Amino acid sequence: MRRLQRILHVAWNDLLIMVSDKVFFFWSLVFPMLFIVLFGLVFKSSDSAPAVAELTVVNLDEGRWGAYFLDKIEAPGIDLKIVEAEPAEYNRLIILPPDFSAGIEAKRAQKLAFKKREDASVKAAARVETRLYQAIARMLSELVLFGDGDLTKFLDGHAEFRDIVQVKTRFPENTVTVVPSGFDHSIPGTTIQFIMMMVIIYGGITVMEDRKKGVLARMLFSPLSKGEVFQAKLLGRWGMGLVQALILFIVGKIFFKLDLGSVPLALLVIAVFALAMAALSVFIGSLCRKEDLIIGLAVLLANIFAGLGGCWWPSEIVPRGVRTVAMISPAYWAMDALHKLRFFQGGFGDILPDLGILAALAVVLGVVAARVFKIRD
Amino acid sequence: MRRLLLILGNDIRRHLKSPMAVVIFLAIPLFMTGLIGIIFAPGEEDSTLPRIAVVLVDHDQSIASKLLMGMFDADQLKKMFEVTVTDEAEGRRRMTKGRATAMIIVPEKFTVDLLDAKTTTLTVVKNPAEQFLPDVVEEFVNTIAVMLSGAIQAFSEEARGIRAMLDQPVESFPWDKLGPELGKAQKKVVAAQAYLNPLLVGIEAEETKPASAKPKFTRTDLFSIMLPGMAIMFLLFIVQTLMRDIISDREDGKLRRMMTTPLRPMELIGARLVGGWAMGLIVLLVLVAAGTLIFRAYWGNLGSFLILGAAASFWTAAFFGLLHALVRNRNQSGAIGAPIILVFSLFGGSMMNPEAMPKAFKAIGIATPNRWFIDGAKLVREGHFPLVPLAVLVGSGVLLAALAVPALRRKTSV
Repeated sequence: MRRLQRILHVAWNDLLIMVSDKVFFFWSLVFPMLFIVLFGLVFKSSDSAPAVAELTVVNLDEGRWGAYFLDKIEAPGIDLKIVEAEPAEYNRLIILPPDFSAGIEAKRAQKLAFKKREDASVKAAARVETRLYQAIARMLSELVLFGDGDLTKFLDGHAEFRDIVQVKTRFPENTVTVVPSGFDHSIPGTTIQFIMMMVIIYGGITVMEDRKKGVLARMLFSPLSKGEVFQAKLLGRWGMGLVQALILFIVGKIFFKLDLGSVPLALLVIAVFALAMAALSVFIGSLCRKEDLIIGLAVLLANIFAGLGGCWWPSEIVPRGVRTVAMISPAYWAMDALHKLRFFQGGFGDILPDLGILAALAVVLGVVAARVFKIRD
Repeated sequence: MRRLLLILGNDIRRHLKSPMAVVIFLAIPLFMTGLIGIIFAPGEEDSTLPRIAVVLVDHDQSIASKLLMGMFDADQLKKMFEVTVTDEAEGRRRMTKGRATAMIIVPEKFTVDLLDAKTTTLTVVKNPAEQFLPDVVEEFVNTIAVMLSGAIQAFSEEARGIRAMLDQPVESFPWDKLGPELGKAQKKVVAAQAYLNPLLVGIEAEETKPASAKPKFTRTDLFSIMLPGMAIMFLLFIVQTLMRDIISDREDGKLRRMMTTPLRPMELIGARLVGGWAMGLIVLLVLVAAGTLIFRAYWGNLGSFLILGAAASFWTAAFFGLLHALVRNRNQSGAIGAPIILVFSLFGGSMMNPEAMPKAFKAIGIATPNRWFIDGAKLVREGHFPLVPLAVLVGSGVLLAALAVPALRRKTSV
């Protein structure tokens, strides 16, 4: 019991020193917040969620079919802009030729030029193109229903198209009910990334400095053993990651209405992940003798893990091979668990495999860190 | 001058003896560029999207649902979708594991309702963890729904006939009366052919670009755009590491010993600033060489780019010279230096394409060397001389150096 108290005392002291450092607030709050705002806004307003796709229409048709066809294209997600001539600037454009009506009435096949700018939104272009095909399918169905009669009389009266097959979309039961915001994606990703960066840099450098300045050696004059010093250092760095995650989640909740799904389980994921990173920081701090090397390694590892692990971009757009390689990243398992909790309202059983892998990693890194942990250079 | 060069040479030799930190800082931008390039660069094929994994749950198990599944077997759709037929529980499991983008549920009696021309509903269950691909599946199913609705309306009588066949045992169905019905259907098909074969109205899609646009964006373009941003970010890190000698010499007592020699403070300051500048240039040269060899990145006129790089290195050396004249110790230098570099990089466009950034971020970015270097590199790539970025970097660099030198003189007085 007294042994535990001693370990906790040292770990708590480390945590207090860290929290009283102004730089801690830059790393744990200011900079991650900048990241969250930037990536949250970019996700929100980017190609992933255009509300309305614009379609410029050059309607040169001299008959009535052009307007009829445009009626079929209209939909809440499509903004039709009718112009008289092809403009220099547009995102997507369709041209109805002067003989559009005449061509239909003469049952002459024709292809409408649909132009899309290379640099415009791919998703908006896909939505418009799909809508065009749907409009054509509706119109052709009505024509087939009309039969081989005189098409000049079609618009005076014909059987209307009925949507017999309808489409309903939803999310899986007992998951989300509204589309998650950009911040729901950016806050967990940024939190994971900065726990890695902060714990490895700050935790690693302080382990190295304590060793170089003889602080660790002096601690052995107290009733602490080498093993207890190691455990205290590990615990202190673990607390560092937890405090950082708590700060970001609280700020995310207050300012961005962050929804984590189950908060206790999300914190459990962060706790296990932070423990693995704490062990890694002690390991790096024990091996390295230079601060710059620790910073370099931390930035390198944090970026590799964050990039591969899905902290920066949705994993759906990542090639399958990269997704497989991503499994080597601890961030992948943490993000996977947080996604299950947030987007699938998952429970403990759902995240158990992720927790298991992170816990195993924490144990392995902890054992390795304990072996290389040095009191003196 | 000779003494300045001696210190400079000595510093470079010392850093080359333990180059690990510099090597890591050089590796990071190359790795980051490679990773982002693999993920975001346009591929060789037309499709910019990965194959979309879709789960199909067939509660109907009849003609229409089989027809629906058959549609996914078309060559073009096979390239786009990877369909797995399974049950809802497995579909959900796959979505949870990130192995399915959406689940299409075909309801019970789908075929019967369709043949009766009764409204029926296909359900698309979207993976909530994905932002982009589920919408593609939704739009695709919407199109299928329109096509099926159209087909069933056009051939409603025939559909009723098929419905009757489904309801009756094979032996009681009046096969001999099918002749005239098939004849009617044939007439409809022939009439429909006038509209459907070839399609009376089709779409000819083409990608266009404005008159001022560049040729098609390639992977090399992406690397060429990204590398300058990454280069300036890690140039800042590396030069900061070297300039920290100003503080460590003082803390370790080396400065006191050096000042007992005939060395003048200005020579020492000059050596440190020139050292930072030279190291920055070397780093840039290595990154240019590695970027060209590994990523086939293009830089435009190499002379112009190196002049810009020299200006950026000078700015960096002057900035960290001033910073190290102002901070009290090594810890403070490390604590302040890295955050400043990251803020510069975030606002200046090293971490994200400046054009995609919110306006406020862009405005703040003007105050960073990253932004001017990235803008300058873009101008060089486009075949222009980066006059304005160069003027800003040199001008502000001279100002920083002018502030740094007297401050460093105070710092070197023992």
